[in-house]
Amino acid sequence: MSALTDPKGAIAELTRPEGWVLGVSVAFLLFLLAALLTGALGPTYFLFLVGLAGMYALLSFGLNAQWGFTGLINFSVAAFFGIGAYGSALMTASGSPIAGGFNPLVGLAVALVVALALALLIGIPTLRLRADYLAIASLGLAEVMRLIVLNERWLTNGSAGVRGIPGFFKGWPVLSTFPEAMPGLRLEIVPGSPIFLEASFWQALLNVLLVLAFAGGTYLVLRRAHRSPWGRVLRTIRSDEDLARALGKNTYSFKMQSFVLGSLIMALAGVFYTHLNLYVGPGDLDPITTFYAWVAVILGGSGSNRGALFGGVVIVTIREGTRFLNDVALPIDPAPLRLLLIGVVIVAVMRYRPQGILPPQRELIWPSAVDGGGAPETPDSGVRERKGGGGDE
Amino acid sequence: MSEGALPKDDAVLRVDDLQKSFGGLAATDHATFAVERGTITGLIGPNGAGKSTLFNLISGFYEPDGGTVEVNGTDVTGMEPYQVAEHGLIRTFQTPRKLEGMTVREAMLVGPRNQPGESFLRLFASPGSVGESESANLADAERILEEFEIDHLAAQPATDISGGQMKLVELARAMLAEPEVLLLDEPVAGVNPTLAKKLKSQIRRLNEQGTTFLLIEHDMEFVMDLADPIVVLDQGHVLTEGTPDGVRGDDRVIDAYLGGGA
Amino acid sequence: MTVLGYLANGLVFSSIIVLGSIGLSLVYSIADFANFAHGDTMTIGAYAALVTFGAVGGLGGAVLGLPFGFFFALVVGIAAAAVVAVATEKLIYEPLDIDSIGLLITSIGIAFIYRALIQIRFGSDFTRFDIRAQRPIESLVPYGVRVTLHDVAIVGSAVVLVVGLHVLLQYTDLGRKMRAMADNPDLARVSGIRTKRVKLWTWVIGAGLAGAGGVFLGLFNQLAPRMGFNLLLVIFAAVILGGIGSVYGAMAGGFLIGMINQLTPFFSTVVEALPIWPGWLAAALESLISIEYANAIAFVIMVAVLLVRPNGIAGEAAT
Repeated sequence: MSALTDPKGAIAELTRPEGWVLGVSVAFLLFLLAALLTGALGPTYFLFLVGLAGMYALLSFGLNAQWGFTGLINFSVAAFFGIGAYGSALMTASGSPIAGGFNPLVGLAVALVVALALALLIGIPTLRLRADYLAIASLGLAEVMRLIVLNERWLTNGSAGVRGIPGFFKGWPVLSTFPEAMPGLRLEIVPGSPIFLEASFWQALLNVLLVLAFAGGTYLVLRRAHRSPWGRVLRTIRSDEDLARALGKNTYSFKMQSFVLGSLIMALAGVFYTHLNLYVGPGDLDPITTFYAWVAVILGGSGSNRGALFGGVVIVTIREGTRFLNDVALPIDPAPLRLLLIGVVIVAVMRYRPQGILPPQRELIWPSAVDGGGAPETPDSGVRERKGGGGDE
Repeated sequence: MSEGALPKDDAVLRVDDLQKSFGGLAATDHATFAVERGTITGLIGPNGAGKSTLFNLISGFYEPDGGTVEVNGTDVTGMEPYQVAEHGLIRTFQTPRKLEGMTVREAMLVGPRNQPGESFLRLFASPGSVGESESANLADAERILEEFEIDHLAAQPATDISGGQMKLVELARAMLAEPEVLLLDEPVAGVNPTLAKKLKSQIRRLNEQGTTFLLIEHDMEFVMDLADPIVVLDQGHVLTEGTPDGVRGDDRVIDAYLGGGA
Repeated sequence: MTVLGYLANGLVFSSIIVLGSIGLSLVYSIADFANFAHGDTMTIGAYAALVTFGAVGGLGGAVLGLPFGFFFALVVGIAAAAVVAVATEKLIYEPLDIDSIGLLITSIGIAFIYRALIQIRFGSDFTRFDIRAQRPIESLVPYGVRVTLHDVAIVGSAVVLVVGLHVLLQYTDLGRKMRAMADNPDLARVSGIRTKRVKLWTWVIGAGLAGAGGVFLGLFNQLAPRMGFNLLLVIFAAVILGGIGSVYGAMAGGFLIGMINQLTPFFSTVVEALPIWPGWLAAALESLISIEYANAIAFVIMVAVLLVRPNGIAGEAAT
């Protein structure tokens, strides 16, 4: 926020990795812009990718709330994502084997409620135990969810998946007819390579706005939570759970809250995906989704929400980059290549930079308390972000 | 014998016939003693006497096989550690793990109990009350750091300060939790003499201001100088208790230490 | 099939699970982390054997319907899994300066690297050892038991390996040190045990057994790059059922989980026969207790164990 009012000062304050990430991101954006303007990259597909990046960022936010904040190892990100995706698809799709046809908001609500129930189901037996039990049990949960989706055809259509999913804004005033209502445009910025903006483009634009709203809202909630006393207890649990217990914190309850919060955010990502892709199938529950989120979170820096945002972009680059590589250069099946990249990134980060690229660096104290003048001698303590902070909103 | 430790008038902590065994070996063997309000009670004993087990039993980290623990007259046996803490018993650890990514100031702010901002809903429902309590806690933290003469560390990453300084921070943080009785697990283990002296004077000062202490310590000079009375533990049961001089002259204590290979 | 038939199948499958779960449990207690790459170590063993067998062929004679070359391939599979695991320990895990949780996460990355390399080299399709399938042993068929000589070979080899491990743990110096380290690594270190060496041997033994399990799994079913990862859930369930860190617990857990896994169709016929009320419950149970959900049943058992006895059937009460 303050970067808008004082851009030079903000840049000067960046750490080296921050500057590095910023530089790469800007270069990447310029590259995309160039591709866009020359028509090499269709604007609708570009927006789809942006939507996808937003979705992975959301998924990473969810995992960050669990692993990054509290140190909970959730290997069933894909399952919670799948709950969100299938929950809303089954409620809203015309091709749904059960109910179907409901307003997408109903789908959203149902998806979140089911995700909540599932989070409790897996959290209750494991969160009282050592951290690795959750890791093991959640890996199992993901597998079981996949089996259920594959086998319970009466509920999920099995391997055929669910079709006929409406856009998220179906039934809303104005927005539901917005894409059709917009005129088709023809832009020619670089002479000779015109760009067409049609209904599908406006639809994609709506999706991007939706994911921006989801991710933006989540970001604000998480940022406030992270720098609150609540978040501080979670961070204490991450380093030394016994210490938190000895200081009178009900760590089981805090862990449960953190787990549920993260799971709901993952389900939200799934809901968005459903209305972005307009089709869901059992393939969407592939464990690889889980580990995309893991790569994003540990690469970005555990506990760092902006890191998770950056991670979201990296995932789309891996996904689309391997596809591109397969199409253009190397005839290697992209599936194992992605797997290999994920594996290498995980090992490399743990080896060389376990704190990630963008770890949270500023003191996390409730902003209004810092403004109150409690800590005058530390110019860097949360001051930079305080204008956007949550205490007095 | 130790069972002769009669119920005292104003015990803030009362341990009665506490038992715990691991794999058939009794680590705590019918331990009975009390910590009177306003004292600095020392808990000593040779290696393997079961001091740490006893601490874990009292603070709720282990569940006892038998016996009771009372804090402030409330039976806290079998409660979770956080519930025991809510009754006013706070403990520290022998080797605290570093709080990654936190400054000393943040690490201090974990101390206060039942902060409004520890409720997720309240962060959004009434951010004002969260801010107020955070301001107050921040002021308390700064004040206590000053009293401990470590306010210059406030903005340091908690991972960067020395082990001895961390012990001071731990003690300071525990005070933010406003304990009725504070259990210190080897407060000066691995601490240089200057800092140890500082710790001693801080504990004495806090005690004069009304905090009751129970401390395990291997450094005999430290504990004999600071604590009174002293409870001697051997093979899981209370061997004797008394004044430092009384304990020092007790043959059974000397035997226990020699027999324990110390 | 009869109950006896299912039990026989269970025995074969259990042998494979036991080989996997012992290794996982050993590494868990001595290297001190949950190794999520253990399933893919099994895959490595299987594929190494596949390549070796393809290269050396039958080598003349045969035992229990298996050519000599297969046993040679089995040994190579075991060795390959062990070598890869030791190399990973030396190059990746040992230089890392992180706690057991960090190692756990690293091991997931390792698992993906193993699997991705196998998939790049061999493709993602199923394949088999080039050995003619056996007919069930005639004399057992009247009892409803349809096991082949290959199955007998699997069980026999697993028994040999497990007994060998037992002897090693109980009667050798290395075994004594391993048990000491599993009990209390710090104590073991101060009492002069060269823990690094013991850890390396643990990897050799744990991964070797996993490699053998992988080869047998390939013989019992078929080979695919995901074969090991898919089995990971079942193996973890076995280890948790037996109590993390207990090798004998892992044997018992592996045996039980393997049995239950193969007995699933039998259970479903039982459920169908039982007069369960209300009807929806009967329908739900019938649909859930079926072969498709064999892995899910292992998961349910695991969660139940975590709820009731988190230290496993062999472990002590929680501390």
